Amino acid sequence: MTTQEAPPITQSAPHKRRLKAPGNRSFSKPARYVMLAALVLFSGFPLYWMLNTALSEDSELYGQAQGWWPHWERLADFGDLIGSVPIFKWLTNSVVIAGGTTLLSLIFAVLAGYALSRFKFYGKGAAGFLLFATQMLPEALLVVPIYALFASLGLLNGMGGLILANVAFTMPVSVWIIKGAIDAIPYEIEEAAAVDGCPRVTILSLVLTPLILPSIAAAAVINFFDGWNEFLLAKTFIAERDLWPASVGLASFIGQYLTSLNSVMAAALLFTLPALIFFLLVQRRIVSGLTAGSVKG
Amino acid sequence: MSLRTSISPPAVAQPPIQDAPSRHHMWQRISPYIYIGPAVVYLIIFMIVPVVQGIQLSFTKTPLVKPDGGTGVGLENYSRLLSSPQFYNSLGATILYTAATVIFAVAIGAGSALLLNQAFKGRTIVRAIITFPWAVPTVATALIFSWIFNRSDGVLNEVVGVLGVGQQGWLVDPKFGMAAVVLTSVWKVMPLVMLVVLASLQSIPSELYEATRMDGAGALETFKAVTWPHIAPTVRVVTLLMTIWSIRRFEIIYLLTGGGPVDTTNTLVVNVYRQAFSNQELGRAAAIGALGLVLSLLVTVVYFMMERRNAAKEA
Repeated sequence: MTTQEAPPITQSAPHKRRLKAPGNRSFSKPARYVMLAALVLFSGFPLYWMLNTALSEDSELYGQAQGWWPHWERLADFGDLIGSVPIFKWLTNSVVIAGGTTLLSLIFAVLAGYALSRFKFYGKGAAGFLLFATQMLPEALLVVPIYALFASLGLLNGMGGLILANVAFTMPVSVWIIKGAIDAIPYEIEEAAAVDGCPRVTILSLVLTPLILPSIAAAAVINFFDGWNEFLLAKTFIAERDLWPASVGLASFIGQYLTSLNSVMAAALLFTLPALIFFLLVQRRIVSGLTAGSVKG
Repeated sequence: MSLRTSISPPAVAQPPIQDAPSRHHMWQRISPYIYIGPAVVYLIIFMIVPVVQGIQLSFTKTPLVKPDGGTGVGLENYSRLLSSPQFYNSLGATILYTAATVIFAVAIGAGSALLLNQAFKGRTIVRAIITFPWAVPTVATALIFSWIFNRSDGVLNEVVGVLGVGQQGWLVDPKFGMAAVVLTSVWKVMPLVMLVVLASLQSIPSELYEATRMDGAGALETFKAVTWPHIAPTVRVVTLLMTIWSIRRFEIIYLLTGGGPVDTTNTLVVNVYRQAFSNQELGRAAAIGALGLVLSLLVTVVYFMMERRNAAKEA
């Protein structure tokens, strides 16, 4: 193994890559390029169109054909671009909601993930099943009884209540991600600390947590954007316009044309960009986290 | 070391060493519950209790304005649902929406993965572009597509106009509503299929391809002998996930068509929401939700039965 892999940077690496890439040649070359072009058009065009609409003149949008190219010069006057859409207030609300959801969810997840990874205890299977099965529940079924519950507790129309409800939906996946991360850390490290008489809470927070920081970060990003994107609960619980997150605020423009659509699209772009950027950073982990969490159980 | 093994019961493999055995023995037995407890209690309060309440609610007539004061009506909500054509229409819309979305998303997603598993110039950029839609927030997705589909000023009508087709109401014509909603959903969820299948494709050892190539196998035979058997379990899992997620997808449909035109996209979850918050009938909404849950469970059970049969066949 080592003798094969260590020296041949010159030989084996390119050799391997060359073999791996054309793994399957199910498509002929021209057909492949046509299909790729179609895919790129399908996936890329709507995003391009969002940008193009955001950067279009008011006069272009209605009654005549919208130009195919963005007016980049409109970027210069950004305030004008956003127009009367109170997007910064809504984005601030989104940050508060998503941030609160992330923080609370991670606290539960680190504790629960630690328990699931490092202990054997009576009821562990049941706890695991609970964490797995609750992911199957449709939001739309729960929204009615949670609404009823929150109405009686006075938690409607506030960001706090929304955070509490969001956490219930985002926490299970986080638990699985954290558990997986702790599983991968050799137990000997904690053992050494335990011999020194370190209490377990300290071990978890000062020894283990720094070691699984990449996974915590990945879970944080997933939670944050679940909170960032969440619409149904926010729409149901929060009636006051000033308390809306950006998702609900932007949705209120769909199908109404009082506000100029280029402003709405510019605001939507601001709402989308952070998600795109963060997504690119953690794409791989999101995929493995999702599949690990929801499938393997 | 030996201290740990002597203190712990055999089932407890890992708890660290503690001295002063008796007190810590008990502490050791409680402590896992202290860590797992908050999460479990939380999920019970915010998931299990609401599910139970939702099911209870489905046996009552409860108005939205007084969500905690309903009157019991027994099975009336269910019997009314099961005898109303509107419910079967909703069920049909759910099945049509789910089947179409899953088939297209899995086919296009898996196809893209096969394409992207080959080397070509600009692969990284192409993969990024194809993946982007998944990261776009749902509300932004609905906003873009509602504009693209717009009847009088949307770009889709501009394009089909060039082809000589007149303006169509993509979101308001019962002929097209479902197709528009499916197209938008496929756009949004297909990347996940692509990423998961691509990851699986990249884990196929290249030696396998080499071997089949030496046997003189063509592209199709290689696919059947090597590629498909390797990715099939992944494709099945991702199909299950896509199915469950499609059954419960709400935002895209609700925001694009609101369940219309003429209820053609009125899937169960959209129906739940409309019953609860437009018709203000929480009880009936909960009953629809409960039946939707049964549908999700059914899919999961069928999937696990199929998996078991597959496993038995392979063994």
